[in-house]
Amino acid sequence: MTSPAEDIQAKDISILLVEDDPPTNWRLKDALEKAGFDVVAAMTLAEARASLESRRPRVLLTDLQLPDGHGIELIRETRARLPDTEIMVISILGDEESVISAITVGATGYILKDAFPTDIAATVRELVAGHSPISASIARFIVRRTQSAAEPPPGPQLNTAKLTPREIDILWGIAKGFSYAEIASHLGMSRQTVPGHIKSIYRKLEVHTRGEAVFEALQQGLIKL
Amino acid sequence: MTDEAKPLSAAPVSRPRIVVSRIAQYVLLQIIIAALCILALRHPLPEPPARYLLTVFTLHDRGATREVMLPAFVPSRSGMDDPAMFTGSFGWTHSDAGGAWSVYLPRFTNGVEVIVNGTSILDSRRDPSANRPDRDTPEIAVIPASLLHDGANELAIRLYVWGPISGFLDRPFVGPDDVLRPYFEQRTLWFVTLPTVFSAWQGILAVILVVLWAVRRHEIAYGMLAGAMALGAMQTFLVTVVDQPRHPELNATLIASAPLESGFVLAFAILFFTRRWPRHAALVFVPGVLVMLAGLLGTPQLLRTVFMVLGIPAIGINLLLLAAVVAWSELRRQDVPSLLLGCAVTIVITCLAHDLLEVAQILPDRRIFFSRLSYSVLLIAIGAGLTWRFAGALNRVDGFAAHLVIQLREAEEKLRAAFAREQEQARAAELARERTRLMRDLHDGLGGQLVSIVALSERGEDTGGIGDAARAALKDLRLVIDSMDDIGGDLMLALGSWRDRVAAQLRPHGIALNWQITPPGLPVHPELRPSHVIQIVRLLDEAVTNAVKHAGARTITVRIATLNDATGPYGSITVRDDGKGFAPAAEGSGNDRAAGRGLRNMQTRAARCGATCEVVSSATGTRVRLTLPHRFPDGDIR
Repeated sequence: MTSPAEDIQAKDISILLVEDDPPTNWRLKDALEKAGFDVVAAMTLAEARASLESRRPRVLLTDLQLPDGHGIELIRETRARLPDTEIMVISILGDEESVISAITVGATGYILKDAFPTDIAATVRELVAGHSPISASIARFIVRRTQSAAEPPPGPQLNTAKLTPREIDILWGIAKGFSYAEIASHLGMSRQTVPGHIKSIYRKLEVHTRGEAVFEALQQGLIKL
Repeated sequence: MTDEAKPLSAAPVSRPRIVVSRIAQYVLLQIIIAALCILALRHPLPEPPARYLLTVFTLHDRGATREVMLPAFVPSRSGMDDPAMFTGSFGWTHSDAGGAWSVYLPRFTNGVEVIVNGTSILDSRRDPSANRPDRDTPEIAVIPASLLHDGANELAIRLYVWGPISGFLDRPFVGPDDVLRPYFEQRTLWFVTLPTVFSAWQGILAVILVVLWAVRRHEIAYGMLAGAMALGAMQTFLVTVVDQPRHPELNATLIASAPLESGFVLAFAILFFTRRWPRHAALVFVPGVLVMLAGLLGTPQLLRTVFMVLGIPAIGINLLLLAAVVAWSELRRQDVPSLLLGCAVTIVITCLAHDLLEVAQILPDRRIFFSRLSYSVLLIAIGAGLTWRFAGALNRVDGFAAHLVIQLREAEEKLRAAFAREQEQARAAELARERTRLMRDLHDGLGGQLVSIVALSERGEDTGGIGDAARAALKDLRLVIDSMDDIGGDLMLALGSWRDRVAAQLRPHGIALNWQITPPGLPVHPELRPSHVIQIVRLLDEAVTNAVKHAGARTITVRIATLNDATGPYGSITVRDDGKGFAPAAEGSGNDRAAGRGLRNMQTRAARCGATCEVVSSATGTRVRLTLPHRFPDGDIR
């Protein structure tokens, strides 16, 4: 996860940071600016929307709980209007509740609020390079959703029908703490391609529109007409 | 069929008075029935118009000739060769020739031959049912028109008598067939067809009872009744053509089986109503058996004599005993079968007495025997009584089944309620345990770290310490939340998350994490509980923290593998650092003391999971080897 994408210049990467807690906001902004990124910070949903009117950030970094709304709305809107923008969610615990629900509306990455500044910058850089981060617990949550049949387990709804067996194998490896290299050698693929698979998995978990959500549900037999 | 006698309740009326009143009621009822019966018996049977009646005859009997007024008796005799001859005449003119004329004989015993103008037109001995003196069989014969001539025509009747009772000839009627025949048909219906129908029914009843008895062998009463019914049916359907039976003795014996039949009925009643078999009850069969032996071994004459002397009284005695048994049963249990049978027995006894008095010529005699017909009433009563009791038994079975169903349902509901309660309690207990565990986990980790933050921030200097403590608190919070997730017994899934956290922890310290898994990692433990996971992860955390804080390590190696011994596979997790190690003794430096405390902690945690923790420390590094159990212990862990 830590291989830096050296070919992209940090100053070319514009970031919109949306975080309502001022110390956290400052801390994240500092960390990103020190890494050379072009950062605009917003404290509320309204500020974020206003900012998105005038500029098209390369990366959107948003908290979920905002004073005037929910980060999920912002992610969904941004995903619809600016499909090229990478979206990351800022999570306190990195728990599946917040991360997975963000992924299903279009986020492809997350950072922990208490992450070290170097890690924050590295994660953003990786994401721009096409490598989405994933934790073992997120991977665990997703693969366990691919197993369970009868009763939907608690937590956010997740449609795992599109995942290929290989992607599920990758997720199992991550969930059990195997390194990318070990997973790659075990599955007979290049280590470099593993992070790309993660982003593909996130994209597959995304529910694009309301209509598609209904279609997916029908496909899976969740809704009976 | 196990209904007990209705208990005599503790009513204010005393028991003897109840019994006396019941006896009085019962006897009164039987007297009324007998009186009605006698009235019915004395009621004259319908007869054709008197103008067709012939009463004056000349009787030639045993060489003597005399004028007689019919009805007339002739003495009993043996053999067919010496019939009494009744000769009379009737007027007929051509003007009467509108239709055929018939001779109608309402009643005779035992056989007649009818001769009109010297030509025989009827011989009743060819009619099997007419040969039975106990059946009141009438006869009718159409007179061929060619035999008749204007004026007086001669009618001669030969009366054959073969005992045991005297011969009898009722007044014959000679007249138009269309006038006489309805009366004949009516008598045939009453005295021939009806008994045959009842006998057919006896046959069916016999089959049903035999089946019943075969299925319920202990209910001998049904076997007895089946015997009676079978005999009765045989009596009717065995052909009794005089002089032509194939096995005359057997035939005669079966026809004379009424005493045995009555014995069977009595035996049935004894078993059915009293439910026990008195010591000498088998005696009821003795007369019947004797009569049958006489029939099988003796001459027809002997059979007739024995039947008269022994059989008829035996039937009477059996009937009286039957009446007594049934009356006793009725008094004891007051049920419908007893009452029905009691009334029927009274009717039969009345009819039998009537018939005997007629045979003895004490009553004005028309030689109409009602005993056999009245037996049908007994059959109806038996059938009704059996059905009644059967239906009652079915009702009791239904009631029993319904009762069982209700009881079962109640028991089920109780059980369900108990189960729900138990489940509720179990759930509550589980929740309480979970809450306790969560509280303890948060207290052990997060609580202590937050307190440490408070202490550090109050001291107002070591800001790095606050950060570390806060990070540790967050890390522990993540661990507690993570451990709540269902990992399906796969500890690898918990270690995967732990790896992420350790990597994040080590990165700022510049310590490399060397993570080695020997596939397939660790065995799956279905019995693994979140509390075990927390203990193991905290233990590993402790090992890593020791390495980071006290050992000055550059690389931490975590090795995960499955090993095998005699009992099976078990997991092994090793955390090794390349630091300077520590002295496990208490008298070392501050760092060593902290490490020593951590060591004890680790061992306690390992013990709680049934695991063992082995720590080896030297100047070149420390190695913590955690050996997991084959099976994690059940229950709560403290």
